[in-house]
Parts: sequence; structure tokens; C-alpha cells
Amino acid sequence: MSTLLKNGRILDPSQDLDVVGSLLIDNDQVRGYGPDVKADNVDEVYDCTGLWIAPGLVDPHVHLCEPGFEHNETIVSGTQAAAAGGFTTICMMPDTNPALDNPALIDFILDRAASPEAGGVFVAPVGALTRGMDGQELSDLAALKRAGIVAASDEGSPTQDSWVMMKAMEFCVQLDLPILAHCDDVAMSRGGAMNDGAVSAMLGLKGIARSAEEIAVARCGILAMHTGCQLHLLRISTWGAVELVRQFKHLGAAITCEVTPPHFILTDEAVDEFDPLCKVSPPLRTQVDIDIVLQALQDGTIDCIASDHSPHASHEVEAPFDEAPFGIVGLETVVGLTLTHLTHKGVLTPLQTVDKLSTAPARILRLDAGTLRPGDTPVAQVTVIDPNMDWVFDVNKTFSKSKNTPFHGSKLRGKPVLTFCGSEIYRDALFDSQRYATVM
Amino acid sequence: MSAPRNLLAIRHLSQGQVEELLDLGREMKSRVLSGTNSLPDLSHLVVGMLFFENSTRTRVSFEQAANYLKMKCANFTQAGSSMDKGETLKDTILTLRYERLNGLVMRHRLSGAPYLAARYFAGPVLNAGDGQHEHPTQALGDALTILERLGTLSGLRVAIVGDVLHSRVARSNAWLFSKMGSEVRFVGPRTLMPSHTSMLPGDTYFDLAAGIEDADVIICLRLQKERMGSAYMSSVGEYAKLYQINRETLRYAGKDCVVMHPGPLNRGIELDDSSADGERSLITDQVENGVFVRMAGLYWAFGGAPFAKRKQSERAHASEKAKPKRKAKVRT
Repeated sequence: MSTLLKNGRILDPSQDLDVVGSLLIDNDQVRGYGPDVKADNVDEVYDCTGLWIAPGLVDPHVHLCEPGFEHNETIVSGTQAAAAGGFTTICMMPDTNPALDNPALIDFILDRAASPEAGGVFVAPVGALTRGMDGQELSDLAALKRAGIVAASDEGSPTQDSWVMMKAMEFCVQLDLPILAHCDDVAMSRGGAMNDGAVSAMLGLKGIARSAEEIAVARCGILAMHTGCQLHLLRISTWGAVELVRQFKHLGAAITCEVTPPHFILTDEAVDEFDPLCKVSPPLRTQVDIDIVLQALQDGTIDCIASDHSPHASHEVEAPFDEAPFGIVGLETVVGLTLTHLTHKGVLTPLQTVDKLSTAPARILRLDAGTLRPGDTPVAQVTVIDPNMDWVFDVNKTFSKSKNTPFHGSKLRGKPVLTFCGSEIYRDALFDSQRYATVM
Repeated sequence: MSAPRNLLAIRHLSQGQVEELLDLGREMKSRVLSGTNSLPDLSHLVVGMLFFENSTRTRVSFEQAANYLKMKCANFTQAGSSMDKGETLKDTILTLRYERLNGLVMRHRLSGAPYLAARYFAGPVLNAGDGQHEHPTQALGDALTILERLGTLSGLRVAIVGDVLHSRVARSNAWLFSKMGSEVRFVGPRTLMPSHTSMLPGDTYFDLAAGIEDADVIICLRLQKERMGSAYMSSVGEYAKLYQINRETLRYAGKDCVVMHPGPLNRGIELDDSSADGERSLITDQVENGVFVRMAGLYWAFGGAPFAKRKQSERAHASEKAKPKRKAKVRT
């Protein structure tokens, strides 16, 4: 089987490549790309005029909820959503039930992800930093690493004990394993439901102070600086957290961070009328934070964009605001929201956009992904994006089992239309009719 | 009749709607007190009284209001209900909807819970106090009381004293008095004040004397004793020392300043006896007027039209017609 992606804009940040040309996939491998690639006798040709041809997208932060919370999402439904979102590799967070603290569970995850009914994307499991995510006792991280985890994390149950965190970092330095940290001082944020600010004051909801996030960022940064551990901060949200990361980078710590689309688009004012779909952790902040976040995306202080895909069934979400769960589904909106709110507004260039969505997260997590270069990935990982497609996001037409997102009905510009992970794993219905040609 | 509408928060009401509700409240009162049988007859309506949080005063007040309007009440408490068996609030509301209740009066310990009810119920929802958010009928009753005593709601200086952070009464009253053209001041310890107040209609004072200086109205908030002896405040005594309204501290307020409290009182803490029982206290008037504004709220929410216009001279509180007792002072 051979496929020619013809005449697109090839964007590969791993080699600083931005050129119009074609890309040939043959027998699940990229065989060549660039202005001079021509191919005869290919099985199918996609006319990619005006489209981006990018390395398959990488999501560093996804909750697949299986085992334990299959009513919210499964590995099958979540990987299908990932493929439709343009992703070829997703990092799965360990806050399942039981938590991913045991090699047998990693085998299970990889097995489920490889099953024929799954979405066909690579699932890179992230192990639980502590056993049962109790924040006390380290998991068998060496065994987990041998089983295939790409990082260790306390996502969902932030480690409060700084001594435990320091020891975890020391051991992860030895194992050469990145730590993905959930930055939250729980004593400060406990019981809070939204950003502590003017809106929470008006609504009478208990606020989560920005200090709760920033204290944890500072603590993790200090420990990373002194231990030499590679630290990636999961979805930061405040201007203060951004400035701390900037300082730690300046001081030479091996620190990176991510942001999610809701945090660079929405403010706490979206919570007006107590909309539980806008309840997320960390909470939606303010315009001041968004302004600094945008600047930090531009200057590289924020390394990448993550979905923090957090599915919750509607019966959990349709509750009083305080009782609704934190989280927003994101796999199928990341590209549309990022292009609409960052690329088309001039915050990021197309090459930077692809970097934040693919090359940078692959580099941070040392994944064989994020590049078009043949041989650097096990199979072809390619995503074709129509940057100018205007579409309306309809949550009822998504692959995810859960529908908890405030973006239903949003008018977006830019959509992934073809995803290859080895073979083709997703093709957008609108794209199909207009651009597809079977040659043979 | 107009379309049924919710009464969820004073914040959402226009000045005109507040005036309409207060007009209705005054009219209800005069009709009740005159003893003539001229009250609206809403005997075709059944209203659910959903008190998910303990309440005696507000509950009885709403029931009494419904009685005067000949409405039937379906009482609901969480204890012993299907919610104790794990039913969600959404399903409880849907059940009540399909049992064909016409409206809901709802008290809940969580801010915003009546908004959830309004999303799933077909018919008006009246907020009888939600968490730390709003308590609209309390504010309407307080406003009617002030209107009777001072003749206006505009140009006043209203000091709201106490645990503003956790108080729904503070929020509803602040919105109401500011919408009617009065100056609102929040007075209390820094630890019991929201950290950001820019979207609340009032200025913040931590010092009682400065906060109530020349005030026309002082609204004391109920202190939750459970919160004392914590990081919020070291002790009840410490609070009383700083914020108690008594003969001594009242000297800072305006000469004719009135004192209010939504109840239940912690005598000797928020207020001393002399200010709770004195000439300036409007506490019992607040309770009485609570019934009449809840009648107004029920009637209004079910789409009741304003009663026939009374003479202009009687509409003293309509702010454009009102003669301000004095101009709002410029803060220095």
C-alpha cells in the first residue's frame, strides 16, 4: 500500500523544514518528502494543496480512564478520539483504578492500545510515581520502566511531601526517567472549585488561590534544580507559574511545561451561571494570565500544548458546581482551538504550532515521534491539517465517550483531516469527497 | 400576566424589576394588614418547598407567604428522601417536574444549586438561599424595611458588617442597595473578606469605625461560630472586640442609623442587647416584611402583573422620584 500526499506545505520542526512538496508513505513508512518527491504507481493520491503535512501530533497529557473509570472513557474510545484529533502518540496518565503502579497493568494498557478495535495510535503509558498514588512510597519505577513507561507522574494526587518528591527525583535521575508533576498545594486548594478571584467572590464559590499552584511549581522547580531531575510541569495556568518556570530555565534546571487550550482561551468569567463544564484543574484564570501565557508560548517558556483530556460522564457533570468533577475533554478540539486562537491570531507561526503539538512533546518525553525523518519513528506518523477549514465543533459527533466540554458549538478554523500511524487511521468526512483520488 | 420567571439572584435583576418586586411587597402588606379579601388567588398552583439545608425562618416565611396566596405547598426535605438513597439533584428535580409541581422554592448549602434546578425544571425557581451566593428574598425584605423607615433606597450609605466571604445575605443586599443608588460598604476582617472584590458592588473596609462612618444603615451578618478558633479568626471574643455593633461603636455611624440583622442572632457577638433591642433596631420588621416580599416573589415569579398603579406620591422609593435623604458622600 502506498500513499502520496501531494503538493502540501511540509512542516517539520525537528529539521526546521517549511517547504511546499509531497510526501510518500509506502508500506507504512515515510519513503521521502520534499519538493522533488514524485511517485508513479502509487495506490492513492491525496491532493494536499493548501494543507499542512506535519509529523503525527503528540499529546503529553491524556486520561484514558481504563481500568476503573470505563464509564468515562476506554482505551478504545480514547484512542479513536486521539486519531480523529490528529494525534499518533498520546501519553496516558496513571490515575486509573488501580493506578498504573505495576508492570502487569502497563502490559494490559499496551495490549488494549494495540487491539484492532482501538484507534491505532501509540499509547505511551506514564507510571504512578508512588504506589497507589498515595504520595508516600515510591512505585517499582525500574520495573515499570522496563515494562514501557515513558515517565512517572503524580497527576491527580499531587505529592505533598517534599522529601518524598526529592527522593523520587533522585531515583528518576538514576533511571533517566522524566517526572510529570501535578503542581498543586492541596492544603491551599482543598474545597476550592474555581479561580480565587473577583468571579468566585461574586458567585460565592470557594476559590483556589493562584498561590496553591505557584508554591508547588516553586517547590518542584527547586527540587529539580538540586537533583538534576528532568521535570515536566503538567498544565500550568498562572502568570506567576510562567515566571517561575522562566527563572528555573534561566538557572539551568531541566524543566519544561505545558498549557491546555481552555487555559489560553477562557477566563474564570466563563463560570458565570455556575457552568460545570468550565470546572477544570487548575481553574480557568484571568486575562492577565492568558496574556502572559500567550507571550510564553511565543518565547518558548511554555514548551508545548496538551489536551489534558479528562472525560467525565454526564451524570457526574450535571451536578451543583461544587460537586461536579474537574476536567474537560480535549483530544478532538486541540488542533481547532490552537489554530483558531493562536496560529490565525499570529501568536504562533505554523512551524511553531506544529512544534508545540508534536516535536516538542516528543522531545520532552523522548518519544520516537515528532519528526518526518524516516527511521526516527517506528512507522510513518503523519498528520495532515487543513489550516483554513471552517467548522463548528459538535460534541455529539465525537469519538470520546464523554461530552464534557464548554466548546460545543464553537466556530473553529483549522482541523486535522488525515492521520497516519503506519497505515491511515483517520480521514475527515469533509476532506474525503473533495480531495481523494484512487489512482490504481 | 407575564411569562413565569426565576428569582435566582438580585444580581440578575434590573432596577425596574427590584422596584416592581418592592411595590408588590408593599401592596401585599397593605392588603394583608387591611384584612380585606383582595389578595391574589393562586390556589391553582402547587409549589415545592425544597429545603436541602436546615432553615426555620425562611421556610416558615415562604410557607406563610404561600398560605396568604392560597397556594399549596409540597414539602421536601433531604432527610428521608430519595436523595438519601443516592438520587442526584438533577433526577430529584426531574421527578418533581413530572409530578407536575408548578414552581420550586429552594434552599441549598451549595452556591448555584438553584441554577441547576432551573435548568431541569419547567416553571419558576425561587432561590431561598444558596451556599455563599445569594439570598434574594432576604434582601428584598430588608429593602422594604428600610424603605418604610427611611422613605428611600437611594443616596444611603449601607455598611454590611461581618463575615462577607461566606455570606449570601451580604451579596444580595449589596446588589440590591447598589442597584437602587446607595453606597455599599463591606466591613470585616481581611480573613473573612473575599480576596478580590472588584466584581462586587461595594468598597471594602477592615476597620469598623471607618467602615460605618456616617452610615445610614448597618447590616450585621451572622457569624458562624464554627469558623472561629481557626485561621479565619482566633476567637469569638477577638471578633466581637473588633466588629461588634454596640452603643460605643454606633457613635461612628450616622445619627439616625438603623441596625439590621438577618438572624438568627448571636447576642453579644455581632450585636449587644442595646443595639439589637433598641430604637434603631429593625430586626423584627425584617422578619415581618420577609413574608410580604416572599408573597411578592411568588406572585411575580408565576408571572403576576403589577397591581394597578398607585398614586405617584406613594411611590416614594422609585429612585428617580425619590428625594434622596442626602447625597451619597464622596469617599476620601
